[in-house]
Amino acid sequence: MRAEKADAFDALIVGSGISGVLMANRLGQANKKVLILEAGQNLPPDINDYMNRFFMATVKVPESPYPPELFSGGKLTDPASLNAGRPTVLSLEAKGRPGDWQDPKQSYLVQDGPLAFGSSYERVNGGTARHWLGTSLRFLPADFEMKSRYGRFTDWPIKYDDLEPWYCEAEKEIGVAGDAEEQNAHLGITFSSPHPMPRIPISRVDMAVDAAVSGLKVPGIGLDKVQWKVSSTPAARNSQPYQDRRVCAGNTNCIPICPIQAKYDPSVTLAEALRTGNVQVWYRCAAAAVVVDGNGRVSGIDYIQFDGDNGPVIRRGRLTAKIYILAGNAIETPRLLLMSKSERTPNGVANRRDHNGVIGKYLMDHPLYLAWALTPQPVWGYRGPLSTAGIEVCRDGEFRRERAAFRIEIGNEGWNFPIGDPDTTTVDLVNGLNDSQLNKDKKALFGPPLVKELNDRLSRQFRLGFLIEQSPDDSNSVALSTTAKDRLGLPRPRISYNLSDYTKQGLPAAKIAATAIFSAMNADQFTLAPDPDDPSSFPSPNDPTTRLKYFGAGHIVGTHRMGASATDSAVNDMQQSWDHENLFLVGSGTFPTVATANPTLTIAALCLRSADHIVRHILT
Amino acid sequence: MIDFTRRKVLGVAAGTMASAIGTADLTQPAAADDAADLVLFVKLSAALTGIDAAQLAPPIDPIQIKRAYFRQAKTDPGFESLMQIVRANPADPVGAANKIMNSSNQQIKYLGRSIILAWYLGAWYQPMVLAQTPPPSPVTPLKVISPTAYTQAWAWRVAQAHPMGYSELRFGYWSDEPLPIEDFVKARGA
Repeated sequence: MRAEKADAFDALIVGSGISGVLMANRLGQANKKVLILEAGQNLPPDINDYMNRFFMATVKVPESPYPPELFSGGKLTDPASLNAGRPTVLSLEAKGRPGDWQDPKQSYLVQDGPLAFGSSYERVNGGTARHWLGTSLRFLPADFEMKSRYGRFTDWPIKYDDLEPWYCEAEKEIGVAGDAEEQNAHLGITFSSPHPMPRIPISRVDMAVDAAVSGLKVPGIGLDKVQWKVSSTPAARNSQPYQDRRVCAGNTNCIPICPIQAKYDPSVTLAEALRTGNVQVWYRCAAAAVVVDGNGRVSGIDYIQFDGDNGPVIRRGRLTAKIYILAGNAIETPRLLLMSKSERTPNGVANRRDHNGVIGKYLMDHPLYLAWALTPQPVWGYRGPLSTAGIEVCRDGEFRRERAAFRIEIGNEGWNFPIGDPDTTTVDLVNGLNDSQLNKDKKALFGPPLVKELNDRLSRQFRLGFLIEQSPDDSNSVALSTTAKDRLGLPRPRISYNLSDYTKQGLPAAKIAATAIFSAMNADQFTLAPDPDDPSSFPSPNDPTTRLKYFGAGHIVGTHRMGASATDSAVNDMQQSWDHENLFLVGSGTFPTVATANPTLTIAALCLRSADHIVRHILT
Repeated sequence: MIDFTRRKVLGVAAGTMASAIGTADLTQPAAADDAADLVLFVKLSAALTGIDAAQLAPPIDPIQIKRAYFRQAKTDPGFESLMQIVRANPADPVGAANKIMNSSNQQIKYLGRSIILAWYLGAWYQPMVLAQTPPPSPVTPLKVISPTAYTQAWAWRVAQAHPMGYSELRFGYWSDEPLPIEDFVKARGA
């Protein structure tokens, strides 16, 4: 359906991801007229379309179920051929290999390095929270106060207590199953109301780790004082029927897609928003520029509507509303702002040079250190949600003056993430190979011995993932490519990315912790060192002969940061632009620091808080 | 050292998406199927995989995944030679499997391995790729045979689990030990 009169809208929102739909729903519920522009497609009528794409993918990566096609003509799809491209983790390979990270014909992001930015995102109904894990941890009080507590980086303009009621609201809105008492006991954070659902039970893998780490002593800065214990992970995954959705059946597939929608995704909230009758979505509509008038207010958004992933432009136009909310992610939102250059905004929108122009700067992620091992007795991975517990007690302490903190995610999917199992070990045992390192004699098995040996290997696999806090560095940035464009002719994002010494120091600490945990479990470690030309690796700061590898966590953060003053931030604590009072930039791009918790719950809490502010004070 | 992550499996994937075959083509019965050969193929598959024929192809079989694998195997130039060995030993599929897996004829031996991998992973690993020296690292399939093949793959059951994205179990099962392996996989002839 098309709006009869575009300026009848109270709010124009760019992006239908979790930020956009939470804002839209709250505004719609308050009888505000909202239009969402989404560059991607609507959902297919039958979710099995996505499931079948996933089943048929020979490489099962987070992007696999979703359009556009990752491959065309036997190669990665050239992003220049797509109206709304996206990054894929398949284009993070070393130079000269298929998936070359710096080949703009294979990589949507134009990566300047020196290290690779490893996270991807979706441009489709629901955005990247279609393929999210569901982890819904709160930030810790100290995470908002890094400068005042540890002399590092910057403080948020709000504290934990300011956001606490909105965390409660977000947990209800997206449906979080968790154990607030345990979170309080393990992390000291307060909950003014419990999670709306009891926690998801922990797995046999979690139990094995928990049994081993009690009383563990680990040497190293910030590790030696930890009272090691396993915590169940709060997750937006149903432990009871909730929002007319089913209980989790343990499909072990939260990333990239839950087949039964037991995991929250933004289409749940979008459906609710649409039922208000006040919200519309235009799909395959890319925002091309934000227009600012002589009074410094945003006066419109130029859009391009197109037909299909590779089809022609149907229409170009300008839409107006009272307020404008940019809810792309922390790469697409600064991209749009930087594309919006005019005489009035020569540096892009919300990016005044006399305000130090922070748009696109301070790009962060959680560099993820992966370690994997074989337990002496079966722990039976490949069962349950992808992760049901973690180690959270190492997320804060005085050590944050010296090095990055981390949280530890315990995986329930065997060695699927590290080596693509069960495929790799199965092929090894059948074809007499040893890519998995689990077939040292290179035996080629068949018949009953194959069943016995494969069962022995697969049932003892598990992995740990360390989500490492990244420092906010203004040299890590999103800019515009001057050469690479999408099919609409819009410049693609150009990324400069590195890890600071502070951040790098988190990885050897993670490696020490992993080794100690595996040792306490009497588990044999099989973590492999990266190739020297792997663009997501670097020499250990403590031992240059050892290389360390990180993965992207999909947590894209920091490129339109909030702050207490216009001189060092793009938005205030309500995610409202300092430069343009009717413009809001929402999502994890507003985080001044990334901390260690997965960001989605904090994104949701901030958006609900901003929506409430808009309803009460802006669109009155 | 090899950094062998799921992301490195790229080289493969390229061909596969383009050559994906519609599932309906593979699962529909066709007059060309030799019924007797199909029976022998299932017996041979049980001997190769170590999984009972009645589990691979139950007497009442609404899924008929055996046909998909039979037809896929039939496209290989070594298929006729392989089936000759099975036909010559109709009452002794285990003996036939031993001959195939120890055959000096590489075409036959590696087709045997491809058939095992089809049952275990639901994907087609070309015999000529499995036979390469040195082997590619990683070895990657030509394609997933069909969505149904993925959901019927036996490697997951051998792990006492279920295909990722296809669980028929109930909430909370992951907190308990799984049923014994014998409840997931019955040894051939059991």
